[in-house]
Amino acid sequence: MQAAPQVPALALHGVGRKFGALAAVGNVTLSVAAGERRAVLGPNGAGKTTLFNLICGDFPPTSGRVELFGQDITALPPHHRARSSVGRTYQTSLLFNGLSVMDNLVIAVRGAKPKRFSLALPSREDSAKAIALAERVRLDHLLETEVAQLSHGQRRQLEVGMALACDPRLLMLDEPAAGLSPVERPELLKLMRDLPRSITLIVIEHDMDIALPIADVVTVMKDGDVVVEGPPAMIETDPTVQAIYLGHGRAH
Amino acid sequence: MSERTGAVRTGLAARGVRSAWVLPASLALLAVLLVLPAVIPPFFTANILGRAIVFGIIAMSMTFLATYGGFVSLAQMMVAGIAGYTVAVLVPGAVPSIVGGVPYAVAIPLGLLAATAMGLLVGAIAVRTQGIYLLMITLALAVGVHLFIQTNIAWFNGYEGIRNVVGPEILGLPFRNTYVFYYTALVVAAVLYAMVLYVVRTPFGLALQGIRDNVRRVNALGYHAALHRIAAFGIAGFIAGWGGLLATFYNIGISPGTIGLGATVNILVMAVIGGLGHPIGAFIGALIFVVFDTFAADLYDRDRFNTLIGAIFLAIVLVSPDGVLGIARRLGRLLQRRPAAQPAEAPR
Ligand SMILES: Nc1ncnc2c1ncn2[C@@H]1O[C@H](COP(=O)(O)OP(=O)(O)O)[C@@H](O)[C@H]1O
Ligand SMILES: [Mg+2]
Repeated sequence: MQAAPQVPALALHGVGRKFGALAAVGNVTLSVAAGERRAVLGPNGAGKTTLFNLICGDFPPTSGRVELFGQDITALPPHHRARSSVGRTYQTSLLFNGLSVMDNLVIAVRGAKPKRFSLALPSREDSAKAIALAERVRLDHLLETEVAQLSHGQRRQLEVGMALACDPRLLMLDEPAAGLSPVERPELLKLMRDLPRSITLIVIEHDMDIALPIADVVTVMKDGDVVVEGPPAMIETDPTVQAIYLGHGRAH
Repeated sequence: MSERTGAVRTGLAARGVRSAWVLPASLALLAVLLVLPAVIPPFFTANILGRAIVFGIIAMSMTFLATYGGFVSLAQMMVAGIAGYTVAVLVPGAVPSIVGGVPYAVAIPLGLLAATAMGLLVGAIAVRTQGIYLLMITLALAVGVHLFIQTNIAWFNGYEGIRNVVGPEILGLPFRNTYVFYYTALVVAAVLYAMVLYVVRTPFGLALQGIRDNVRRVNALGYHAALHRIAAFGIAGFIAGWGGLLATFYNIGISPGTIGLGATVNILVMAVIGGLGHPIGAFIGALIFVVFDTFAADLYDRDRFNTLIGAIFLAIVLVSPDGVLGIARRLGRLLQRRPAAQPAEAPR
């Protein structure tokens, strides 16, 4: 399916999600252009992760509409969204701990293809793709290592590798730099920079040093709603943003 | 702030990383089992080894689901019984004859089909449950079907069951021949065991282990986890069906008692004693169970058997939650003087 260039990669129309009385996401309308790099900032509890969950379909929004490349996906279950090339990572790594790095990647590679019930061994092509992904996130020396044995940083890298396995058109990273060492951070930054523009990228990130250099547009959320949206230069000097970040502290 | 994870965790599932020794060890065991009947009395061949293999197949259907999917199903003995009853109802010579006249070559595939269908049905009914609720719903299904069969005279001859199901002739020899029975059971078990080890390397089997470790991620990667899960119950039903057929031929018939609550618990005991970490555990557990079942009756009176096997069950669960396999694994580590690997704690 070829989207016309002016069709946004992602469009949210008045999207909201309530948990009981709590409106985790209030009423969010935003549009991310195809190929754009978008950073989502905001204090803990602002509803950023919930917004990701609504986009990838982990649970449906209680109000509003989600459109992916012009197609309404509000009611699609999560496995259909993955098949329409939405890749994401999780704030807390959700990996297959009992399996090897290779097996984790093979599962991710096969999930994007038909024949998910296949009882034939993974093809050479599947294995090659899994290995290429491992190289991309610098885990190719650990292919046979059980995921439970990986360090925190390696788990974060594997998260990204698995999200890339479906050749996403939209890639969503939830705090990919959280807990990474000073050595790992620049590597992550490089990986994000090297992504081709055929991938639209949305990153939730607390660390402005990671978020601002790569972002075309920054969205700042607080209490479930978007408070400011604009280019990084504007966000850096915006009084509302400074109030939020001074109020809550940049670290969390 | 931690994200809510839908992670499947039974604590029973072994870590599925490949071990290099599994294949050679399995082939060595198969070789031993092939020649053993030459040196042990026929009674041992049929009533100890043969019976252990048949129970082991049914227990393996439970182990398969638990090890690779994280689902503990108590319905597997009932599912096995569906295959047994299907054949008993159909074949000629059964007493009473209910349908009769359908040759074994047709009845056996139908029995396996019925067990697979029942496995799928159990999987579909239990698809939203996990942990203790899954145990309860599968137990309820097992007991329900058992009671239905026990009270249905027209199709299943009620309480008495169906006798004289002698089994097919194999290479012109009657199934009742000790060695025909033993070697058939051994070949079936070996093929099913190999099938399980193969299936878990395929995309289907890998996704099943993904469901065990993290069902939410499996969905996010594009899989329909619920359908996958139901399909796994279908495969387990197929495996259990073979066990049910062999058990029916071994017992020369089937009655509700063989698929009742007691039999269901026995399969659970075997699977847990052996260890829910690898399919071979089912056969180890079944052998231990059958040995005690056979000889405890001589040592004590019959009623004490349950006390004895119950005590062993408790001891194993307390000492080694992953059964005899877990004990063996730990001994192996001690001998290699390698400390047990510590899983990395995921920081928030
Ligand atoms: N599954 C859930 N059930 C109930 N409350 C939730 C759930 N997920 C998130 N919340 C609540 O929604 C609010 C926003 O959370 P979240 O989206 O994780 O924020 P952020 O990612 O910006 O830190 C929080 O108050 C959180 O407790
Ligand atoms: Mg969050």
